[in-house]
Amino acid sequence: CLSGIATVTKEGGGNDVQWCFSQVKGAIDDDVAEADIISTVEFNHSGELLATGDKGGRVVIFQQETENKSQPQCRSEYNVYSTFQSHEPEFDYLKSLEIEEKINKIRWLPQKNAAQFLLSTNDKTIKLWKISERDKRPEGYNLKEEDGRYRDAATITTLRVPVFRPMDLMVEASPRRVFANGHTYHINSISVNSDNETYLSADDLRINLWHLEITDRSFNVVDIKPANMEELTEVITAAEFHPHQCNTFVYSSSKGTIRLCDMRASALCDKHSKLFEEPEDPSNRSFFSEIISSISDVKFSHNGRYMMTRDYLSVKIWDLNMENRPVETYQVHEYLRSKLCSLYENDCIFDKFECCWNGNDSVVMTGSYNNFFRMLDRSQRRDVTLEASRESCKPRQVLKPRRVCAGGKRKKDEISVDSLDFNKKILHTAWHPQENIIAVATTNNLYIFQEKVN
Amino acid sequence: MEYKVEAHRIMSISLGKIYNSRVQRGGIKLHKNLLVSLVLRSARQVYLSDYYSGACLNAAQSEREWDITDTEREKFPPSTTECDRVESSEEPQKNERPEKEREYRENDDEVKSDQADCTSTLQQEQNQNSSQDSVAKVSSETLQETINEPKESPSDSALAELDSTPEANGESHQPPKTHVCSNRKRSAEESESGDSPQKKTKVASSNAKEGEEAEEMDTSNVSNLITIFGSSFSGLLSKDGAKPESEAEDSGQICCDQMLKNLNPWSTAIVAF
Repeated sequence: CLSGIATVTKEGGGNDVQWCFSQVKGAIDDDVAEADIISTVEFNHSGELLATGDKGGRVVIFQQETENKSQPQCRSEYNVYSTFQSHEPEFDYLKSLEIEEKINKIRWLPQKNAAQFLLSTNDKTIKLWKISERDKRPEGYNLKEEDGRYRDAATITTLRVPVFRPMDLMVEASPRRVFANGHTYHINSISVNSDNETYLSADDLRINLWHLEITDRSFNVVDIKPANMEELTEVITAAEFHPHQCNTFVYSSSKGTIRLCDMRASALCDKHSKLFEEPEDPSNRSFFSEIISSISDVKFSHNGRYMMTRDYLSVKIWDLNMENRPVETYQVHEYLRSKLCSLYENDCIFDKFECCWNGNDSVVMTGSYNNFFRMLDRSQRRDVTLEASRESCKPRQVLKPRRVCAGGKRKKDEISVDSLDFNKKILHTAWHPQENIIAVATTNNLYIFQEKVN
Repeated sequence: MEYKVEAHRIMSISLGKIYNSRVQRGGIKLHKNLLVSLVLRSARQVYLSDYYSGACLNAAQSEREWDITDTEREKFPPSTTECDRVESSEEPQKNERPEKEREYRENDDEVKSDQADCTSTLQQEQNQNSSQDSVAKVSSETLQETINEPKESPSDSALAELDSTPEANGESHQPPKTHVCSNRKRSAEESESGDSPQKKTKVASSNAKEGEEAEEMDTSNVSNLITIFGSSFSGLLSKDGAKPESEAEDSGQICCDQMLKNLNPWSTAIVAF
């Protein structure tokens, strides 16, 4: 339950926050191995752990070092805590289809005991992983040597009971549940319910409800598959549970609509409770209008009153009580509107950008191209473009705002649209739930930025 | 006319994407293919609406050809008739177009060299510039013909060719394809009839006006033609988008033959554009 967050951020949230480089993880090599491409980033509920998933099916978890209270200027760093192979490539022999091992999403479960739990998913299978620490081990077995070999029975003359002795910390990840065969189409989202017992998984056409303890059964709550596939006009692109109301979830579509569903209303939520849709601006009509209106991510605010959607060019904030239009709209990179045809050709128009809220819902963040990312301050009505680059990697180096020149005379320090590197895209970003610490994933590097502390 | 060139280009790119998606790792992505098919549909709308705006200008000239094609309709499957009409209303193209067509054709040849059916189809098209039974082929062929033989007497020469080829080659050559395509056409038409009013609004505003004007001036036969032509194409489109998934669901993708059947109309469509 997130209602009692104590935020460490300054009053007003993002105002006048200066961001500094903290760390960068990953190879410096420009030649990126495909398996190393980061595909998801997620902080856990306390912010102490930061998980990343990659195209090779691996999960890497970083842990924040406990701050040294005597030296407040020494910033807490994230170091590798655990690495494990979550998913392997599979082959569906029945359908002659290869199933990619790429981790699409990671979601943490709220911590209940000493161990940490997270859900990770590829296109077809969701897995529940338990990450636990082992810092002691039993020694002094009666029947075994220290190396595990059994002692010769004749030599055993005394009885002794093993005792726990400290050992070097070992972090183990073990798969506790495998939720397989629930989806025909590609899974795009998972979301843990606030009841901490169930979670949903969504693919292109269906949303299933699972119980964390039960792997051989799931309940289908949304099915938009038409009887005749030729009539298919939209697919589900993202889904999320409400942060507090365990009966409510939303799902977004490729047509730019969001549907809010109430599981109390009926068992099957094909009929929505609310439909959020903004009428299209006819002056912006083009061949690609449908593509750019497709929603790539939907996220509830921490307080549960708003939700944010990301489409190709903009971020929209919706009030759950107002369905006919968003309350705020922010342009992420409007200068790309005239380049849609080229972006269609090079497939960039299909890039699925994610978005995230800060701890007190005053600032939202999303990625762009050229390793740029955007911070949109809702309270101050200000926005800034920053860059994750190896050039600004000196410790505590303050990030300088970047500007893109859409046309005409390029001012000093501005970068023209044509110089943007569309291969350098920031699709995944995450914000620490309480502090001003952000994790920004470029293709194969993870940048961690923190608020400048004076 | 930049719209037309642009629409044409976007159609080629879209078809290429749909084709490439088949060989992508991880299986066909439904979302992306749906979006691409929507773009393809929009581009085709624009392309065709430009087509028929040209029809207005050639209306008087074309009347004669339409009368001829009416009688032809009785003789031949609907697909060939459509082509006649389409091509008769088509205006002469720029010369650079044939270059592009050939380029795409060559590229696609390389890609599909290992698929016997496709290769033979392509060769046939290249050699004779003839039409086949399948709707897509015929319609795409028509466009090719008109593009490659602009000025003199497009309708006459093409008509003559269409006259001969279905009888000579079509029926004997690939009967399964006819069957497949005509089924698609029917089912697509059903879905299309519902869709077409919506589709009209989707066209860019300037083109929509043109399209509508052209439509008003045309005979009702031609508007039927648009529906048929449009539905056949989108039928193939949506069928293709649907097919991989339904196949995936029904585990039909194991069979290479099925894939080839699907690919054949596509290959020609790609060739055309």
